[in-house]
Amino acid sequence: MTRADAAVTLSAISRVYGRGNAAVRAVDNVTLEFARGAWTAVMGPSGSGKSTLLHCAAGLERVDSGRVLLGDTDLTAARDRELTALRRTRIGFVFQSFNLIGSMTAAQNVALPLRLAGHRPSAGLVRDTLAAVGLADRAKHRPRELSGGQQQRVAIARAMITKPDVLFADEPTGALDSSAAAVVLDLLRTMASGGQSIVMVSHDPVAASRADAVVFLRDGRVVDRVAGADALEIAGRLASLA
Amino acid sequence: MIALFAGSLLSVTLGVALVQSSLLLLITAATLDPPAGLGAAERMEFSDNVTAAVAMLGVILGIATFLAGFIISSTFAFTVAQRRRDFALLRLVGAGRGQVRMRLLREAVVLGGLGAAIGVPAGLVVMAAQAALMRRMGFVPAGFAGEWRPWILAVSFGTGIALSLAGAMVAAHRAARVLPLEALRETGAAARVMTATRWIAGLIFLGGALALIIVAPVGGPGGGAAMAMNVPMPAAIAAAALSPLIVPLLGRLLPTGSGVIGALARANLWDARRRSASVAAPLIVLVGLVVGTAAAGASFTDAGIGELQRQTRADLVVTATGPVGPAIAAVPGVASASTELSVPATVDVGDESFSVSALVVDPAAYARAHSVELAGLRGHAVAAGPGGEVPAKGSVRLALPDLDLGAVPVVASVPATISGGANLLLPPGLVPDRLLAAAPAQSFVTLAPGASAGTVRAALARIGTVATAGDWLRADATARSEVNNKIMVSVMGIGALYALIGVVNSIVIGAAARRREFAAARVGGLTRSQVLRAALVESSAVTVAGILLGGLAAAGALIAAARTTSAVTGTTTVTMPWTLIGAVCAVALLVTGTTSLITSWSATRPAPILLLAARE
Ligand SMILES: Nc1ncnc2c1ncn2[C@@H]1O[C@H](COP(=O)(O)OP(=O)(O)OP(=O)(O)O)[C@@H](O)[C@H]1O
Ligand SMILES: [Mg+2]
Repeated sequence: MTRADAAVTLSAISRVYGRGNAAVRAVDNVTLEFARGAWTAVMGPSGSGKSTLLHCAAGLERVDSGRVLLGDTDLTAARDRELTALRRTRIGFVFQSFNLIGSMTAAQNVALPLRLAGHRPSAGLVRDTLAAVGLADRAKHRPRELSGGQQQRVAIARAMITKPDVLFADEPTGALDSSAAAVVLDLLRTMASGGQSIVMVSHDPVAASRADAVVFLRDGRVVDRVAGADALEIAGRLASLA
Repeated sequence: MIALFAGSLLSVTLGVALVQSSLLLLITAATLDPPAGLGAAERMEFSDNVTAAVAMLGVILGIATFLAGFIISSTFAFTVAQRRRDFALLRLVGAGRGQVRMRLLREAVVLGGLGAAIGVPAGLVVMAAQAALMRRMGFVPAGFAGEWRPWILAVSFGTGIALSLAGAMVAAHRAARVLPLEALRETGAAARVMTATRWIAGLIFLGGALALIIVAPVGGPGGGAAMAMNVPMPAAIAAAALSPLIVPLLGRLLPTGSGVIGALARANLWDARRRSASVAAPLIVLVGLVVGTAAAGASFTDAGIGELQRQTRADLVVTATGPVGPAIAAVPGVASASTELSVPATVDVGDESFSVSALVVDPAAYARAHSVELAGLRGHAVAAGPGGEVPAKGSVRLALPDLDLGAVPVVASVPATISGGANLLLPPGLVPDRLLAAAPAQSFVTLAPGASAGTVRAALARIGTVATAGDWLRADATARSEVNNKIMVSVMGIGALYALIGVVNSIVIGAAARRREFAAARVGGLTRSQVLRAALVESSAVTVAGILLGGLAAAGALIAAARTTSAVTGTTTVTMPWTLIGAVCAVALLVTGTTSLITSWSATRPAPILLLAARE
């Protein structure tokens, strides 16, 4: 895989929390490329450093050593202003807790990133983006009037409206029941097949089996990887780590 | 969210109202014209009273501005801290630091403007209350009422917006530095509470308070008292700024036997240092300011009383009118009498002209009666009196009600005292008799050895009102304490109320964000009443901590007062206003306890599962 093919490149990154005896190497010298236009799942036991890795890759968390590239942009050297600009244009986030703004309607939440970037998104664009996640009729609803699965789809619409290079998702189905989760996974699959790069952390083998490739972490290190495996095989490999 | 805005708005509204009211009263008093038809002496007395009222209103305005600035900025800082997660979320979806900062500053302008819009009419209500209080205490004439000035509109809106902006400035700076990642931490921000700003502000104001405590004893009676009374403000700011270090430590002192409720309250105190500090801050200011100022004031009053008792050498005191000296001296059995006639006067020193109180005395008798030295006061000369303010050397231009005496040399001086008194002592013969005919006279009479007190008293009673020196000193002491108390009530009363509302405000704001926390505790197996009890224990602990820290600030003022009274009178005087202290503590505990019960009761009304299910 050449540099141009990687949506995100991690070169020997480490992240240590605390110091001295209490130091935790949450991410330990990881070198990894997330392919462009592909959906990569990151798996591992609880506390293995998945979320930390995702945060570092997305420029939300500084690394103690190593380098993070988003395409050709060096995130480790980026200042806050540049990182902010990146979040508006090239990076999208979806999290387990949906993190919508409670006082805003679904449509307002979706339009927010563009408005923060100083644009006035057309009503049509917002409607289309909500329609793409199947919520065209819920534009005027506030988060508390939506189900968990619907809230997560609003969050995905909000992340997608900027047409980001990479969508980062941390346990996007973690708070959903299996049918709501299936809807969200279908949505991500459609996006990935359309060429969207996705990096997703999950502990659910069913979710990970929908991805193009799976990376396994343990104690902050990459210990295994697999492509095109089914849920059963992924579950087996995960079990062998614990 | 509503509670946060309402809380900030309330703090601005009341702040604007208080500042506007104090300013209007000050302006009204300063431009007060004496009623028509007053004689020259009465006009001088009137302008004396106005000067005193203006000075007092100046202090009231200062305290109002201080409180408004303090309470608005601490409320804003608190609401911003409560919204950290929202700001992190905005940052996560692409808001820049500048956008977060601008958003808060815009909010501050809106809140400031809105607060002023409500604060201006509210200020008129406050003004009526304040004027009524000052009339009742007798510091302003009976018909006194604040007057509306059109320009106050601009001032009030300016004050509201400026105070909000200033209050939001530090908070906005902090909010802009929130990391996007904080949006993802489920349990809210474990943000550092002891920020650099807090350390710096805390240490600077602590230094200021210490400097005042150190310098006060060399400031003389007047300056030293002023410095001691000013200790509580910087000391309270320092205590409030450093409170996050101390409040949780006090939480550890909660009795460990109180089981799960005590444990929950202790954990909350530690985890919610920010919230505890925000509730404690206005309490610290309230207790520090009220108790500190009152205690220092009472100490100085008592020091003055003691000083007067030590210095006065007399058996009887006669209160009369006009030049009664010769008549008193002629009474058989009177060994000596210092008769002191009080006249108003105006003094020019350099370019400054101010009104003073002058006493016409017999220098030798005066020196005996008051244990001072007063040699050489005779002819066309004056001496600086125990009230200070007049230079002890050189010369002053002296004018009596309708007589300009021109430049007069100051040939002697007596030490300034804490109990104060006349600024100038005049020798007999300097003031024409026509000005003395109606002057209030006080005579300190010493009996000849062997004279019968009863007989002398009876003879003196024909000249004026006679009291034993002991009774007179006691009556004087009571009067001084009463005046001191009245001043304290006028100066502190409404400000204290504002600070108390600030405390309630913080509790309500804090509770608004606790619904989920309470719900989690109940899902975890606590009954509603256990949750309420834990909240009550927690708020009481914070209140006690606030009282203790406020007490520390008040102690600073007391130390300054002790050192000053010792330096000036040679006797360290410390008076603890226990009744007031008890009342302040009781009110604080009652108000915080009631508020926290009501707010947590209403926050736990919805079924817990509803709150936990909404994960926006
Ligand atoms: N802010 C922090 N401070 C200290 N230690 C942290 C912090 N965040 C994470 N850690 C530690 O780093 C390690 C990795 O945490 P991380 O959240 O990345 O794990 P994870 O793989 O996402 O786990 P899970 O599946 O439970 O979400 C853990 O040991 C955790 O305790
Ligand atoms: Mg995780």
